[in-house]
Amino acid sequence: VAKLCVCDLLVAQCDVNCCCDPDCTAAEFSLFTTCSIPIVTGDSRLCSQKAAIYSLDVEANPPERIFKLIDHINPNVFCIHTANYKQAFSFISPETPTSENFDQLLKQFGSATFSTEFDSWNINPDSQSSSDTNETYRYEYGVPIQTVDAFVRLPSPVVSSWCSDANPAGFLVNQATKCSRLVSVEKCSTIQAVSMLFYINSSILAKWHEFVFQVNITVQSIIVQSLNGMRTLLNSNEVLRLPTVLDELCINIVLGVSYHITYTEAGEIIEAAASFVLGAITKETLSIQQSFEISFTQVNTKPVPLSGNPGYVVGLPVRAGFRPHGYPLPNTDKHGQLTILQSTSNQDCLAAAGARTPVLFGYNMISGCKLRITAAMECQLLAQTLLDLLKGQNFPEYVASFGNSQAQDVLDWVPITHLHTSEQVKIYNVFQSSCQIPVSLEIEVQWTKYGSLVNPQARIVNVTATVTTAALSQLPSGRERTVPITSSVVFTDISSPAEPGYKARPTINVKLPFDFFFPFV
Amino acid sequence: SSVSLQILFYVNGAYYIFYFLATLAMIVYKSQVFSYPDSFLAPDLALLFIMAILEALRLYLGSKGNLTEEEAPLGLSLVLTVGSALLCIYFLAWQTYVLQADVILGAILLFTYGLESVLEIAAIAAFVS
Repeated sequence: VAKLCVCDLLVAQCDVNCCCDPDCTAAEFSLFTTCSIPIVTGDSRLCSQKAAIYSLDVEANPPERIFKLIDHINPNVFCIHTANYKQAFSFISPETPTSENFDQLLKQFGSATFSTEFDSWNINPDSQSSSDTNETYRYEYGVPIQTVDAFVRLPSPVVSSWCSDANPAGFLVNQATKCSRLVSVEKCSTIQAVSMLFYINSSILAKWHEFVFQVNITVQSIIVQSLNGMRTLLNSNEVLRLPTVLDELCINIVLGVSYHITYTEAGEIIEAAASFVLGAITKETLSIQQSFEISFTQVNTKPVPLSGNPGYVVGLPVRAGFRPHGYPLPNTDKHGQLTILQSTSNQDCLAAAGARTPVLFGYNMISGCKLRITAAMECQLLAQTLLDLLKGQNFPEYVASFGNSQAQDVLDWVPITHLHTSEQVKIYNVFQSSCQIPVSLEIEVQWTKYGSLVNPQARIVNVTATVTTAALSQLPSGRERTVPITSSVVFTDISSPAEPGYKARPTINVKLPFDFFFPFV
Repeated sequence: SSVSLQILFYVNGAYYIFYFLATLAMIVYKSQVFSYPDSFLAPDLALLFIMAILEALRLYLGSKGNLTEEEAPLGLSLVLTVGSALLCIYFLAWQTYVLQADVILGAILLFTYGLESVLEIAAIAAFVS
């Protein structure tokens, strides 16, 4: 007990007001005001125990620390005289797993999380079969989708980024995973997980645990990705393409699989389709990144993703659309999404592959690229190219004000206002007439809170797209300049602060009866 | 027959009932307040019940031997007293948790046993001769 000191936090240094600190000298003790820990004892339930008492003698000059080691007696008749169970007063250290006791510890403490057997998921049929044998088995949310031999696998990274093939896909759980896999050209036909057959081989059971009805996985589409990243959609998609070695390359390597499962309300799977992205690897490739996703659609429905109901949800894309000529209603489709330029690792504007990222509600984004201007570039052409780059191919005209605005409600759609500003507005000189190229696009989305105070919904009020142009001055031939091009999206909350309404102050309504002062009035 | 021995047997019986109930209550209290794993609780409870049975047998034999003035039951009772004393020492010192109250009760019981054994030896000596 004399050696225990809870306030001794600094090693080899004196802690302030810590009377039990062994690093403190008498001179430092004289500077203390009180002792933060006056007494240190063992378990107070013991009948007799040692106690270390620390106190400061302030009368002496300089103050000194007094240390006493006494026997503290517990007067309670139920104090512990002897404890023959030595571990009573300390926490039990758990058993260290070794190779001998691992199985026993796993059985004792492991549950479904750590279970490696597939059988542990089959607990339900025993209870189901005992209660209602006539009811057919059906898939429920989260249940692994079963195939003839095991289950539909969605390889995903487990601890590191390497693919683990034992991850089952859950029913109605939309998932998207990405993981890396070791490949080599020599073994490309032997590694199972890079061939299409691995993913469409076994058929899915239509109902849970019933082997009678099976659904084959059909190949919906195949996209072939070339070595430099360009993707092409193949026209004929019934052909199964297996990895083959061709000219020191291995082609038809699966780079991505996208499953689409159609289900009914009864929990039955009626259709399964898979879309593949196939690529090629060279002799130098050591690993590839595969991406997998699975999505579920109910039969006879056409899901339209909403961005909120009714107000926009932060993180969901802003819905936008066009108003075709002669038709008063805007039509919405995925290609009319509001997108901005996506920055690529290769920052050259003109070499950008046209990658665009959708604008998500509430997320301010900024992106850009660098434009290298040489003397040989023609200004008008450059201006048009940059405008296309900043705005994209299908820049929408209308933005939905609510997350669930329907195309029929014309008033629910907000038109995008376009503004043009010039960088050198302040300089009034002749060079205004020289060619202007757009250097930045800023989309400002103003939104407000709508509805009840308790549950306000986000509503877009105003969208402004501002294109800023700068003058392109003539360069002497042979020289080149780099101009940064930026595009940004800003969401501004213009909701007026809520004004609380107060009820009228209660008035005291006291009226004396009219004959209160009777004899006198 | 020795009157003092008989009185002592009677007092011992009454006191033992109190001792048994108190020890049982304290074991229940200890199992709630302290960490008392089952592997320690079971032997303690078992020994307490064995002690109760032993005590009942001992007191019966001793009292019968004293009243009928026979040495055999008294001798058996003496032997059982040794056993009871050992169990009492167990509850006094070797239990999982020994509380101060345990010590006090056990000391009184042990003192009673000691007195009883002395008187029993005296009674046996008186009856033999």
